[in-house]
Amino acid sequence: MTAAVDLPPIRPRNGARRQGFLRRLFADYGQECVVLGAIVLLFVVVTFINPRFVNTNNLITIFSGNAYIAVAAIGMAMVIMTGNIDVSVGALIGVLATIAGTLAVSGYPIWFALTAPILVGMAVNTVIGVLVAYGRIPSIVVTLGALSILRGGLIGVTGGTWITDLPPDFLIAQKRLFSIPVPLIFMIVLTVAAFLWMRYSAFGRSIYAIGGNPEAAVATGIPVERRLVSVFAIHGAFAGLAAILFATQLQVIQSTVPPNLELTIITATVIGGVSILGGTGTVIGSTLATILFATIGSALIFINVSAYWLRAVIGLLILATVLADMLRRRGRA
Amino acid sequence: MNWRALIRHETFLALLLVLVLVVLSFQSDRFFTVANLLNQGRLMTEIGLIAIAMTFVIATGGIDLSVGSILGLVAILLGVFWQNVGMPLPMAMAAAIAAGTFAGFLNGFIITRFRVPPLIATLATLALYRGLAEGISQARSVRGYPDWFYVLGQGEVLGVPTQLWILFAAAVIASVILAYTRWGRTVYAIGSNEVASRFSGLPVETTKLALYTASGFAASLAAVIFVSRVSTTRSDMGTGIELDAITAVVLGGTSIFGGRGTIIGTIIGLCLIQALKNGLSLAGVKGDGTIMLIGAVLILAILVSNIFERSGSR
Amino acid sequence: MSQPKPFVSLTGMSKSFVGVKVLKDVSFDVRQGEVHALLGENGAGKSTLIKMLAGLYKPDSGAIVVDGDEVKFAATSDATAAGIATVYQELLLFPELTVAENVFLGHYPRTRLGLIDWPTVRERTRDLLDQLDTHDLDVDAKVLSLSVAQRQRVEIAKALSRNARILIMDEPTASLVESDVQRLMQVVRQLRARGVGIVYVSHRMSEIFALADRVTVLRDGAHVATCDIGEVNEQKLVSMMVGRPIDSLFPKAEAEIGDTVLEVKNLNHGRHVQDISFSLRRGEILGIAGLVGSGRTELALTLFGMTPATSGEILLEGDAVRIASPRQARDLGIAYVPEDRGLQGLVKSMAIRKNVSMATIERLSSGIFIRGRAEADRALAAVRRFGIRCRNIGQPVGELSGGNQQKVVIAKWLETEPRVLILDEPTRGVDVGAKAEIHTIMGELVKRGVAIIMISSELPEVLGMSDRILVMSGGRVTAEIDRADATPERVGAAMTAHRNAEAA
Repeated sequence: MTAAVDLPPIRPRNGARRQGFLRRLFADYGQECVVLGAIVLLFVVVTFINPRFVNTNNLITIFSGNAYIAVAAIGMAMVIMTGNIDVSVGALIGVLATIAGTLAVSGYPIWFALTAPILVGMAVNTVIGVLVAYGRIPSIVVTLGALSILRGGLIGVTGGTWITDLPPDFLIAQKRLFSIPVPLIFMIVLTVAAFLWMRYSAFGRSIYAIGGNPEAAVATGIPVERRLVSVFAIHGAFAGLAAILFATQLQVIQSTVPPNLELTIITATVIGGVSILGGTGTVIGSTLATILFATIGSALIFINVSAYWLRAVIGLLILATVLADMLRRRGRA
Repeated sequence: MNWRALIRHETFLALLLVLVLVVLSFQSDRFFTVANLLNQGRLMTEIGLIAIAMTFVIATGGIDLSVGSILGLVAILLGVFWQNVGMPLPMAMAAAIAAGTFAGFLNGFIITRFRVPPLIATLATLALYRGLAEGISQARSVRGYPDWFYVLGQGEVLGVPTQLWILFAAAVIASVILAYTRWGRTVYAIGSNEVASRFSGLPVETTKLALYTASGFAASLAAVIFVSRVSTTRSDMGTGIELDAITAVVLGGTSIFGGRGTIIGTIIGLCLIQALKNGLSLAGVKGDGTIMLIGAVLILAILVSNIFERSGSR
Repeated sequence: MSQPKPFVSLTGMSKSFVGVKVLKDVSFDVRQGEVHALLGENGAGKSTLIKMLAGLYKPDSGAIVVDGDEVKFAATSDATAAGIATVYQELLLFPELTVAENVFLGHYPRTRLGLIDWPTVRERTRDLLDQLDTHDLDVDAKVLSLSVAQRQRVEIAKALSRNARILIMDEPTASLVESDVQRLMQVVRQLRARGVGIVYVSHRMSEIFALADRVTVLRDGAHVATCDIGEVNEQKLVSMMVGRPIDSLFPKAEAEIGDTVLEVKNLNHGRHVQDISFSLRRGEILGIAGLVGSGRTELALTLFGMTPATSGEILLEGDAVRIASPRQARDLGIAYVPEDRGLQGLVKSMAIRKNVSMATIERLSSGIFIRGRAEADRALAAVRRFGIRCRNIGQPVGELSGGNQQKVVIAKWLETEPRVLILDEPTRGVDVGAKAEIHTIMGELVKRGVAIIMISSELPEVLGMSDRILVMSGGRVTAEIDRADATPERVGAAMTAHRNAEAA
């Protein structure tokens, strides 16, 4: 996970035929463009109905409140790109948030309370990765088991009580840097860094290779098992970062995470264009999809749709995106 | 090699179940009593019904994540049809179950017609159906059902909880179908090699459509029983039940890649989970410890049977 | 010509799979700057040999000497390090990665900081492709957007990027159209001129005579001969490959040819089935010849309802029928033994019994219940009738040999008592003994009045077994030849007829 961001590719010499920039952009990042288009459209329509929607405060609330989902989705995107899945990440975030909070109120230094979740997340997911890569248990089975263990562990440790009296320095998600909310900075920096890393580093490229054609990956000499373990570990680190944002955004840490958090994260990843069969997609897509969900949620409130219908609308939208994607792919084939 | 490996997994699991039962009955006097065991049966019926249908779905190499949401939706519809629409209760039950079955059919339709991977399709409908449940209920709960309705979830027939009879019947029918009929054979064939099944003239799409519809029906039935057992209707009912059901199925030896699995395995898996939950809580272990143990058992059981299978096939 | 020292030589290579010897004491060598053609029928051991050379299989016995040193290949990376690269038939590329990435994946040039040097990656890929006269390929294009021929060139560039001194090409022209074949042959000549040694595996005589310096023939896992191309002609090579006169290998049963069963008029589906018309009579074997991609299998799939016809007529015993699914085809008495046995023909993890009953499960059931006894009886009967060698009918088919697996697939379809039986590559990957048995089964079937359509890439098989031969090319029928008039030359000419006409 060292910063392996290389120089961007140079333009080809003339003689080689190149497609137009826009066509290539759409061919390579079709789903990202669709999601971005949906966000823009939504903004235009909702602002037209209720101009207060584009109020800065509102936008910041939308984006920073959901930043932790986007951060977790980055790791999830990597896992899914290798052709695996993780249904335990929601519970893991809960556990890691609790660890961070407990350490903070027990008087440990803040830096320690903020580093521990990342390390623990990596450790837990390394075990999961080893079981998947070397134990040859399907990832959905391992993470289903891990889900139970982590969920049980969470309730066991907290006993269902909330953590209060958090030291103010700990609450980094409420802070601003250059008047930009910290969660927003996390989301943007991590997304861009992960995107560049996956696009330009050898490790990043091997993630696509493993998901796209596992047999060929072995034949090309990629250490597939070791890479899988590393990808799960990195995913654990992102879960740790997500947990920090989640834990520090309010004055208290509840002992639960939103129900079905893992499914929300998986959905954001998939809607963002990461194929569940592995090998394709980018983390920009998953972050955009998270923003889209958050925007829809907020938009519905601004156009006076009952919050109770929020999930139904999101569900319908997901379904529409999935079907559109399938039809688009079939049209290409 | 196949059926021997299968027997091995299920025997292993059954032995584990016996072991757990013995250990737990030593831990607490209250565990191995008829009343307690029957009561546990009551508690596992909803997951059981869903897990039975899920066994078929997973045996074809598919998955249905939307069952928990269908359960919630049907529960809400039952209350709404009865209280707000004013249908007679039996009619409301039938209508709600029909709606839930249709939700299952819609899953199957999306999967077979548009070739969406089942994981994605049911992930999408998971959100959609739960959203509909929330939207329709507006966070209201429905209570005050007539007394006869509670027979289903709280009553007894011949000294055994009513719903346990239903689970028993469902398990027997499903076992017979999976083991002895051409439908069951088709399920295994699809799960083992979908392409070859199609090339052999087996009704692949029809079978899948029927299975997802059946899965919706099972979740609907579970919903009605659930409402009757807890005497109320809420939109968050059944959240996460899909993962519990899948755990039971996979623990029971059904391969997540399809082609392998039995109902008896699923039932043993289910009993094991329930016994652990109940026995440990009686022994003073907190609920969370039990959940952790279930997760560990799931991973270990698959790991052990994986190792057995690999040594057996080489 | 002087005799340069071979760069790589294999001596006494043997290999067995589950007790079956697929390669017996074969020796083979390649020099730098030569094209060495490897020739043999399917199952002769060519692919086993090249997989050993590529480090994919380990030999049971025998030695590999590279550049004077004896080596052992534990993995493909060892062979790569020794300068041996392979372009497989099923190309090992990553569809979502770009051309440049595919070429350099696993051995990217690095900057001093240890980062991937992307400008160099792209520049060197450009150079490699230019060397292959492939100036039209964008190094930033994703591989999934490329044609088969373009992907192949990416594979070759990949091999060159690792400084391969020996390049193995496994049937490189099998799925190429004629113009691409010419281009590929040009590339091969250029590589040879640069001193690369090329092992060229192909069935196509014309390419071998155009390219090869030497040729080695394998038969039934054994080495038959290695000679300079000037010493042999086509007839001689064929007889070395087949090893005996063609007539005795294909015992053509004389069956009475009856009325027309199937008549196809102007059938269309996509690019590969265009305006096809023919008829088939009871007791007749109609051979379909054509290169891979000529539309042979696509025609079969259309008749079988897998890819229903978009237009045209199918008449079965005079009645117009519409076949929209394999199920309908089966009910109409059309059976199809598919090309890809493992994927399409069998459920390998299931028992023989269950595979045999798969297409007739309704008939073997009362209501929805399977009659287990009846099913077992039918399976036992099939095992006896076809001489399927197995422990018992409960054995999973995956454990059987290729020939016995194929017999299970045929048995499954004969259970449906078809009027028309379509066999797609019925003896591919089947040993010689089982091959003869399958041909005998075909003879028995036509005697009982079944009409057979046999698709085969093996010309001797088509010539030996068929009453009539339909030759396809580019999705069309280019010739219909009676048994009496069929010669390898005529059929071979028709196989490429359409293309030549198009090229001219």
